[in-house]
Amino acid sequence: MSYLSNTKFDVIIVGAGPAGSTAAYTLAKNGLRVVVLERGRTAGSKTLYGGRVYSKPLEEVYENFRKEAPIERWVKKERFSFMSNGELLTLEYSSTDSTSFTAYLSRLASWMAQKAEEAGAVIVTDIRVDDLYLEDGVVKGVRCGDEVLRSNVVVDAEGVNRLILERFGMVPKLEKRQVALGLKQVIRLDASKIEGRLGLAAGEGLAWLIVGEATGYLPGGSFLYTNSSTISLGLVVFLEEAYQNINQHVFNILEDLKQKQSIKEVIADGVVIEYGAHLTPEMGLGMSPKKMYGDGLLIVGDAAGLLLNLGYTIRGVDFAAYSGYLAAKTILKAHSMGSYNSESLSFYQKLLEESFIMKEMKKHKKITKLMRSNEMFTIYPGILLDTVKKLFEIEYSSPTILQALRNSIKGKTSLLKLLWNIFRTFF
Amino acid sequence: MKKMKVDEVLNTNIWDVDSKPHIVVDYEKCRRLCNKKACVYLCPAGCYTLTGGEILFSYEGCVECGTCRVICPHEAITWNYPLSGRGVQYRYG
Repeated sequence: MSYLSNTKFDVIIVGAGPAGSTAAYTLAKNGLRVVVLERGRTAGSKTLYGGRVYSKPLEEVYENFRKEAPIERWVKKERFSFMSNGELLTLEYSSTDSTSFTAYLSRLASWMAQKAEEAGAVIVTDIRVDDLYLEDGVVKGVRCGDEVLRSNVVVDAEGVNRLILERFGMVPKLEKRQVALGLKQVIRLDASKIEGRLGLAAGEGLAWLIVGEATGYLPGGSFLYTNSSTISLGLVVFLEEAYQNINQHVFNILEDLKQKQSIKEVIADGVVIEYGAHLTPEMGLGMSPKKMYGDGLLIVGDAAGLLLNLGYTIRGVDFAAYSGYLAAKTILKAHSMGSYNSESLSFYQKLLEESFIMKEMKKHKKITKLMRSNEMFTIYPGILLDTVKKLFEIEYSSPTILQALRNSIKGKTSLLKLLWNIFRTFF
Repeated sequence: MKKMKVDEVLNTNIWDVDSKPHIVVDYEKCRRLCNKKACVYLCPAGCYTLTGGEILFSYEGCVECGTCRVICPHEAITWNYPLSGRGVQYRYG
């Protein structure tokens, strides 16, 4: 600690998650003196996510990423299902190609921290940052208990629970409408069983999202990702809607899902080896601070609200890492100019706006709003399954598609409203 | 796989529980102000239980997600992360 408080670093980074370590890696590689302060015992010991990462942005930042990173399986099969009354309607896409992989986030974060360390960054674990440290209203470091650590600039990569930014007054207290709660079990299972039961070739991965009964009909979705010899099974529920409607323990919803035939047969003889939960930004840019920078401060990753959930894909890790990369680029420029005031750090906002991150978040603004419509999770899965049931389970006469749909909708919603909702969600 | 209880599943994790709680609950507020008590259903680790109609909080199984802090409508929860890397130790995450 005294070594730390006696050393002046160019950059202090709060949090050794994907955003923090990627910023550290990029800065250290370019010769800056960087320290990452991580509250966990190791980098990655406090992080948790669903299970899948989109690769391309990481490949741009880390050389040899595909070869060296702790990748479990490349996702070759995508499944999206509606579940109602134990019945399942599934859309499945099998590809010869892959742009995403499954991984354990603890290991991926630890790998990134190691890369940063090899590049020359100092990673300090077991240390909780409590506050930003200011001189004349300018961020000049951080406080950990009674200690002050100084730097020219601080990168806030503290994650979704922005205790530091809230105390600083940069963001209001986190609200339940801004986040979702994710919970996950990691279940150990032989690779041959995973592949046999899910129709995967050796080494191939699957990502499966399920809405409807899989979350106890709460807005959100359940997920199943395959790792080499485990399955990540969990669910995400929007916290506001869950708060209003939940009528059982959220943990039991996951346990109930494990008992559904379609899931039960996949995880049979599996052993749970870890359970955890985490909040996730879910409001498009609604959780992001207006300015992602201040005098001597940059905000990255979940703390900046950079996560995109489209219902069938969820991107958090690549956004986080890439925002860390852009923050590092900004700092390198500021360093060469010798100024870390908010004007020179505003370059980060510009880089973000020009990058795929903000373009994606803005392009899909509508769908993230519509995902919050309750019907999508409560009524529609039942209507869909009911319609399909009428079409396939024939005794003597078979209905037309329109008849089946009309009969399934009866008393639940109007056909017009349903079609309109589907239309405005996807177009 | 048979249905599991939350304690059973939490026991599969590695823990280094602090001797001091990192979260403090003002039970008086829970008693006086809160009928809903959503923390009982929404804490994924089951840290909030009802005993005789009153909230009882135990921090030992906390996975540090922050849900209770966000949903409590009465600011009854003083929430922080554990010090010195204590608490849950994710190996997979």
